[in-house]
Amino acid sequence: MIALVGRIFREALEGLGSAGRMCVEAVRSSRDLRTWGPLATDQMRKLGVDSIPIGVLIAVFMGIVLALLASYSFTNSVPRYLVGTLVQKTVMMELAPVLTGLALAGRVGASIAAEIGTMRVTEQVDALETLAYDPIAYLVVPRILAGLVMFPVVVGVAMMVGLGAGWVASMGLLDLSSAQFLKGARLFFDDFDVRYGLVKAASFGVAVTAVGCACGLQTRGGAEGVGAAATRAVVTSAVLILVLDAFWAVVWLLGRAV
Amino acid sequence: MKQRSNDFVLGAVILGAIVLIVGVSMFLRESEIGTKRHRVTARFGDVGQVQVGNTVVIRGVKAGKVESIELTEGGWVHVRLALDEDIELPRDPVVLLGASSLFGEWQAIVMERQSVPKNRDVEAALAATRTAAATRDGVLAGAVLPDVAQLTTVAGGIAGDVASVAERFQVAFSDTAARELRASIRSVAQLSADLARTVRVQSKNLDTVSVDVRAGAADLSRAADAFLKTVARLDTATSAGEVRRIVQESERAATQVREAGARLNQITQSLEKTEAHLRSVMARADSVLVKVDQGQGTLGLLVNDPRLYQNTDSLLRELRDLIADVKKQPKRYFGFKIF
Repeated sequence: MIALVGRIFREALEGLGSAGRMCVEAVRSSRDLRTWGPLATDQMRKLGVDSIPIGVLIAVFMGIVLALLASYSFTNSVPRYLVGTLVQKTVMMELAPVLTGLALAGRVGASIAAEIGTMRVTEQVDALETLAYDPIAYLVVPRILAGLVMFPVVVGVAMMVGLGAGWVASMGLLDLSSAQFLKGARLFFDDFDVRYGLVKAASFGVAVTAVGCACGLQTRGGAEGVGAAATRAVVTSAVLILVLDAFWAVVWLLGRAV
Repeated sequence: MKQRSNDFVLGAVILGAIVLIVGVSMFLRESEIGTKRHRVTARFGDVGQVQVGNTVVIRGVKAGKVESIELTEGGWVHVRLALDEDIELPRDPVVLLGASSLFGEWQAIVMERQSVPKNRDVEAALAATRTAAATRDGVLAGAVLPDVAQLTTVAGGIAGDVASVAERFQVAFSDTAARELRASIRSVAQLSADLARTVRVQSKNLDTVSVDVRAGAADLSRAADAFLKTVARLDTATSAGEVRRIVQESERAATQVREAGARLNQITQSLEKTEAHLRSVMARADSVLVKVDQGQGTLGLLVNDPRLYQNTDSLLRELRDLIADVKKQPKRYFGFKIF
């Protein structure tokens, strides 16, 4: 039992250490623009543009559910236009970044871990090193960069679509007029809401891609190891997303709370 | 070829996302690009919960937005309002800040000075912010209307007090208190039964009393009738002028009595003088009589000496004889000669 605890602790430390080392090497390898430059747009297309449909789908249902939930929660003493306020604030500041981030963690994180893990177990990574390619610059930097840039894009689109879905749902399902919804949405809107959501999304993108890359590079064994790496990448990314969500809330919202 | 396609799609998506995010944000902020506005600055001691972007209202109609809020010298806060270009300010304008609903929405209201709600604090704030320098610079006076939160705070305090009282009541309402309360309720029930009995007895007494009172009231009614008749007569007499005549005659009689009294007073005074005079006369007479009695003086001698009386008496007889003789023989005594 004690040995089990010790082993888990050691493996966690090893994972953190190797992830940290990989991040440091990624920063160092970011200077090798010629290696990762041509690959970055491809990764952005795969990780970001191709993820927009899933982000939009999540946002549509998120907006509808939020509008209905707000309407259900507000009693007669609360004005109906606050449905717009709740939808705007919740979608932009919390649900769009987190839900989209979790969805992309499953899609992108698992994909990266499986791809790099397969390259690791099939010794393609070793081949890159043999060919004098920096595997970090070739595999990790473009993916992290893609996550950093494209997660905010996907989340931004999801924010707007979620808000629009809530607007349409309020008019169609709740007999709320367009003016009422917009009044509520505009009531407490601040540019900070958008900035907060996008910065969180960027941090989630870096976390998901970095974890996927780290898990892929640490893959051992055959196909089983690749599957385990993909699973570990998804779980770790999801946990990291929630941790980062709390971190940003503490850092930004605590100071602004009156 | 594939790389160029990727770049194009990626660029389009990124630009589209940026345009979408910025456009929706501007739509939610109600940003108006190219719209001309004119600026008005108002001075406040405190701006409450007003924030940049809050609505500016004139007579209930949205007329602009709060553009900036900044601290200035002298501890004032200057709030700059961006009003629509075609908006005309009311005469003698002031700016009031207040909550537009119970949910934390604030707004700036531009209104005439005369239309400001009567409130001592608001009046004082407007007077303080309306200084000569501010008026010269075109800065409007401003004040913050009482916040709903203040009322809520007061209500919260009251609720806390009620909760405290309830808590104390809960503490005080122990088993012993409950037993005592039950005993008190029993006592109250007994007391109310006694009261009911007493009320029954007293109601009988009241019946009797009420009969007497009714009889008394009848007597009073009769007396009132008689009094009314008397008053009617008196009224009749008054209306005929008899009372006036009686009063006039009484006045005359009183005057006469007064005059008679004055005369009687004079007579009394005369009598007093006469009495004094008489007493003096009597004293002198007494003195004379005493002297006469003592044989002093001529009269005393005449009274007390019998010889003198006899001489006088004989003298008188001789005088009477003489007079008789004179009558008989006047020529004997009187001789008249002419020339």
